[in-house]
Amino acid sequence: MSADAHDHHHHVLPWWKKYFFSTDHKTIGIQYGLSAGAFLLFGFFLMIVMRWSIAYPHEPLPGYMSWMFTDGWKARWLDDGKVTGETYNMFGAMHGTIMVFLGVVPLGFAAFGNYVTPLQIGAPDMAFPKLNMASFWAYLAGGLVMCMSFFMESGAAKSGWTNYSPLAGYADKQIVNQFLAGQTQWLIGLVLLITSSLLGSVNFVTTIIQLRAKGLTWMRLPFFVWAMLVTGFLLLLAFPPLEAAGIMQLMDRVVGSSFFMPSGLYSASSGGAMDLSGSGSPLLFQHLFWFLGHPEVYVLLLPAIACVAEIIPCNTRKPLWGYKPMVWALIVLGFLSFIVWAHHMYLTGMGPVISTFFQTTTVLISVPSVILLTSMIISLWGGSIRFTMPMIWAAAFLPMFGIGGLTGLPLAFNLADLHLHDTYYVIGHFHYVVAPGILFGLFAGVYHWYPKMTGRFMDNFLGHLHFWPSLVCMNLLFFPMLTQGMAGFHRRWYNGGEGYIEKGAEGVNVFGLTVAEKISLNEIMTGSAIALAVFQLPFLVNMFISYFWGKKVTSDNPWDATTLEWATPTPPGHGNFTFDPAIYRGPYEYSRPDHDSDFFPQWEEPKRDAPAEEPEGEPEKKTTEVS
Amino acid sequence: MAGSIEEIKKAKKLYMFIGTLLFFFTVVTVMVATVEWLDFGDHGFDGVDATIGLCIAAFKATLVMLIFMHLNHERPLIYFFYSLGLVMAFFCMWLIGWSKSDPIEFGNESYSDGFYDLSKPATDVHGRGAKE
Amino acid sequence: MEIPFIVNARKDTGLFNSKVGIWLFLASEVTLFGGLFSGYLFLRLYADYPWPERALPILPGLINTFVLIGSSVTVVFAWAALKMREWRKFQVYMAITLACAGLFMVLKGIEYNAKFGHQAVRLQGGGPVQDNAIVEGHLHYAELNDKGLMVEVDEGRKKEDGVFKANRVLVKASELTFVLTRPTHEAYVKEILRQAGSNKITLAESYRVIDKEELSKGEMNRDQLTASESAFVRKEGEELTIELLDQLEDAYLEARSHDRKIRTEFLAASWDWIRNEKGEEEASTYIVEKEVWKDRRAEDAEKIKILSLRAPSEVTFKVDPPFTLVFEPADLVNKVNVGDSSAKLRDDTLVSGEVLKSPMIMGVDALDFRTTAQRAEAEGLDPFPVIEGTWLLTHRAHHDGDDDHADDDDHADDDDRNEFKKIWDCHMAWLKAETERLEKKDRVPALNDKYRVNWDQILAYRDLDYDVEKVYQESKARTLKRAGLFDLDGFAGANHKIHKGKFPHLEIPRANVGFESTFTPKWNTYYAIYFTITGLHGLHVIGGALVLGYYLFFGRKMYESNPEWLANRVEVGGLFWHFVDLVWIFLFPILYLM
Repeated sequence: MSADAHDHHHHVLPWWKKYFFSTDHKTIGIQYGLSAGAFLLFGFFLMIVMRWSIAYPHEPLPGYMSWMFTDGWKARWLDDGKVTGETYNMFGAMHGTIMVFLGVVPLGFAAFGNYVTPLQIGAPDMAFPKLNMASFWAYLAGGLVMCMSFFMESGAAKSGWTNYSPLAGYADKQIVNQFLAGQTQWLIGLVLLITSSLLGSVNFVTTIIQLRAKGLTWMRLPFFVWAMLVTGFLLLLAFPPLEAAGIMQLMDRVVGSSFFMPSGLYSASSGGAMDLSGSGSPLLFQHLFWFLGHPEVYVLLLPAIACVAEIIPCNTRKPLWGYKPMVWALIVLGFLSFIVWAHHMYLTGMGPVISTFFQTTTVLISVPSVILLTSMIISLWGGSIRFTMPMIWAAAFLPMFGIGGLTGLPLAFNLADLHLHDTYYVIGHFHYVVAPGILFGLFAGVYHWYPKMTGRFMDNFLGHLHFWPSLVCMNLLFFPMLTQGMAGFHRRWYNGGEGYIEKGAEGVNVFGLTVAEKISLNEIMTGSAIALAVFQLPFLVNMFISYFWGKKVTSDNPWDATTLEWATPTPPGHGNFTFDPAIYRGPYEYSRPDHDSDFFPQWEEPKRDAPAEEPEGEPEKKTTEVS
Repeated sequence: MAGSIEEIKKAKKLYMFIGTLLFFFTVVTVMVATVEWLDFGDHGFDGVDATIGLCIAAFKATLVMLIFMHLNHERPLIYFFYSLGLVMAFFCMWLIGWSKSDPIEFGNESYSDGFYDLSKPATDVHGRGAKE
Repeated sequence: MEIPFIVNARKDTGLFNSKVGIWLFLASEVTLFGGLFSGYLFLRLYADYPWPERALPILPGLINTFVLIGSSVTVVFAWAALKMREWRKFQVYMAITLACAGLFMVLKGIEYNAKFGHQAVRLQGGGPVQDNAIVEGHLHYAELNDKGLMVEVDEGRKKEDGVFKANRVLVKASELTFVLTRPTHEAYVKEILRQAGSNKITLAESYRVIDKEELSKGEMNRDQLTASESAFVRKEGEELTIELLDQLEDAYLEARSHDRKIRTEFLAASWDWIRNEKGEEEASTYIVEKEVWKDRRAEDAEKIKILSLRAPSEVTFKVDPPFTLVFEPADLVNKVNVGDSSAKLRDDTLVSGEVLKSPMIMGVDALDFRTTAQRAEAEGLDPFPVIEGTWLLTHRAHHDGDDDHADDDDHADDDDRNEFKKIWDCHMAWLKAETERLEKKDRVPALNDKYRVNWDQILAYRDLDYDVEKVYQESKARTLKRAGLFDLDGFAGANHKIHKGKFPHLEIPRANVGFESTFTPKWNTYYAIYFTITGLHGLHVIGGALVLGYYLFFGRKMYESNPEWLANRVEVGGLFWHFVDLVWIFLFPILYLM
């Protein structure tokens, strides 16, 4: 296709093709970002309702939480306006599912990855643009299928976000048409999501390997791209076993097989032995689930670390400290993440030998994680830090992720885990990783790339109004969880442990005593959660008003950064680059003594008298003779 | 990758040969499973037959991969991708198997992972009733 | 904008995009099937029942293996043809590949279909191991006679109205109670109405919901409200229809919303009260509800009682005169016994009345005592006496009533053994001969041989009139007629059409049915994994065939613009196709031979 024809084609794109069924990686990235953001807000809302139930189990939901439910819905799911155990389970299961599968992964990997990766490697688009679009729509369909079940008679899935059998294999059996049961829809949604992420990850890895600009050799790749590459591999190889498990569980539910249903199950509702062949293995599901589940943690984490690793060198005006060790740490981390999964299952009756194996690999995996974190902290050393909005978020990411990571260590040891398993300590640990950790990293990313996406900066005042309260509330919300967990608070109490109070008074039950001591923390945490929700408003407002009235950028490279995405027009058009990008140096060449300005972009041609910096490994000239 | 016409012509003969080989080994597998004079082990079907059958299958799979899927002359990247998949699938099986076969033991009683173990006398260790 | 390396390889990787993509995809497929094979492996290793070895007829699987290998060869030939720019040859080879895919799916369909129609029952009875004998076969058909009882009918009438498979549960219904919070039971209601025919199912008691606006005016007392014009009323005697049930449901749900709303308002008001009365501090103590508010809550409860509509959540319909309803066993939430006064459907609909005699009737084509033997050995017992004592071998065939089955009249004599005992005795004779023969070769019979009687054995024993001595002699001489690998009458398992009427007739009382299913994923974990893996594999075949078919039928344009492009595409599609073949290479021995 000739250039003219192409331009013409570009202009006549109808609006629905441009904004909805677009194959442009930037549009798809933004689509992913917006829908993931919507899901995050929804998941956040579910959490607030749950926290209300924990702190005030006898009080009806306040009007500002329950106004969005219809009377019929409230009559079905609330007990005189109070959250019931069943509803709590439903919200808990869906909160976890939505946050992990529909919120953070799509936001980090799919949204940022889609928008930034091709720009950073100098590609015109993803390698398979149509697959990219299919991936987004499969994701959205999966998410909607899962969430639709909230409005059905059965309600949404209630068996935890891990969906363990036999509970998940039997829940909602009173529904005659199993395809209308929330628990089944969860599985259908999951299969769609897995399909989506498979398409996505094939696309990412292919793009990164095949479409790098000339001169962009492996060790010149920005750290972000490396992280996306490893994340792509994690998704590619870890998700299929869960897909297998999901399909098997779907069979259990829909055609009555017994993959995960052991012999001799009785059910209270039928008052007798269940009509099943039995001989299935519930633990097989757990294994296949966590085979995905653990790499998934790194799928959540790596994009956030990647954003932070881009922002820190740019704002300290100093190369990323230990770029190569970080890359190797990343690869080792990715590999090890496949063989640590059973540390989620120490309490399932695994023997001491295998427990020790998983304990060892789990402790080993903290080494690359610490390399990553330490390198980024050392990168701050001696830099002239510009505390721009993205940098503030990135700086907060480091200690918050540190707390999250370190609190995970006791859980890696199987003896300590005997006490801490399924308590609020676990919740505190991974929420520290995900909320103030990963989400802060992603917020940093939003503030960092917003100017490239829209051509305008986000407002600083609103940014601060978003950041500081969020930081405080996050800690007030999650730190008490660690304390409560050590006091023995179980993670699935819908009434916050109130049942133990009476026992505590008698002084018989040791948990009763510790629970009585720590139960008042619930109110602080719930208050913080509500406040946290309120202080996300400045961010939403900021996103919106900055788009129209924000300060305009004066150049294509407003942060004076070195990586290739800043060489594109703002915002980048279809095809991204106005020139044929070539790369002459590593990604973080800040404050080079032999260069005039304090940053030396990857794409800037070296001066003639400077020492030769030829592009290496130059690929063949692009061939485009195909129409 | 076979590029020139001559090479492809030569390759076609190879494909034919491999195809025949695959047919042949399929027949051998079935015979091991059904014909008495090719039956190994001490009764009709047992571990020995299973091992032989799977070995033949693995051999056939290798032929398909090497010749039909051109893995006998491929780019390093492709070996990397594919072996990564195989390694992860292996981890999946190996570690699940290890987890399942490593019971917690108390004296003579072993508490494996919740399967109803019929090879042991029914002492109702799991409290679910020895009789159905 | 053009994406580079669609056709030509990138220099440093030596690959074009879609080849990288397909290999990544194949790597993920490896882990997908890795997960499934893990499932197979561990379900098999830790199964608590004897794993069905060689449960499937081998021939269809064998042909399918040949078909897939053949198509693997032709797809690579198609690619080679494109490389040599021979469009015609490409078309031919690709067409053969697609034909192979079609044949594969047809054979798969035949196999699946045979399984769906093949019934298995795990019997339950007394004895040291609770029986656990398994019979396999084809269900017979039955209908209701004019007394509403079950009578067997000839298979030829299976498509007629009112004829059902003889595994159904019959309930003489006198009352139906629907739970109004289950708007999903439409399917059941439809079925019940269909079976009701001209019989009347009517509302047993008027359903009344008082009008909430009238109630809030507070001008009338409750009795007046109930009788007033504005109340929602469905009168006693109205006939059951889906619309009626929908209306009742709507009325109930609306009333429930109203009641809950009132209760919520009262509770919220109580909290406001306690905050004002006791202060924020004390209000948040957790036991406050029980201790401080007793009086207040009692007062509220009185008011709530007056203000709420209190619609009943269940509605009962009368069936007059009572008639027989026929349910699939899977529709009932629990097992029922003959004489029970009610049966509950999966959606909690209660069918009151009487559970009638509803035996399972089938033509038996295999007996399987492996589970019995395994459980007996686990108890430290000798399996053979335990097997001899099972219900199947000891029960007396029915000879009451007119509709007696004259199957075993020829052999009736004064022999009081039932037909299955006769089969088993012949089997023991065969086993004796077989054991002796194998002993000479230092071998022992397999479990399958010992405890399982296959369809071809049943037919062979029958042909010899269940004469134990003859069976022994023929077995010894190895002239007993057995099904061979290539016998087409057993292509997809026991063939009840060819051998019509030859398989022994069995009537299993409901109490002896332990677990029953067709050979679908429900029957056991082997069939579950068989259907799951082969089903997924079949989807891969279909997907691959669609892609290859697209190149065959719509590839001409691509070929003309750049033949190399199409060659690359076919190579990539071919890689996927080989992978599908590769999976089958493992599936065949694992599922058919092991």
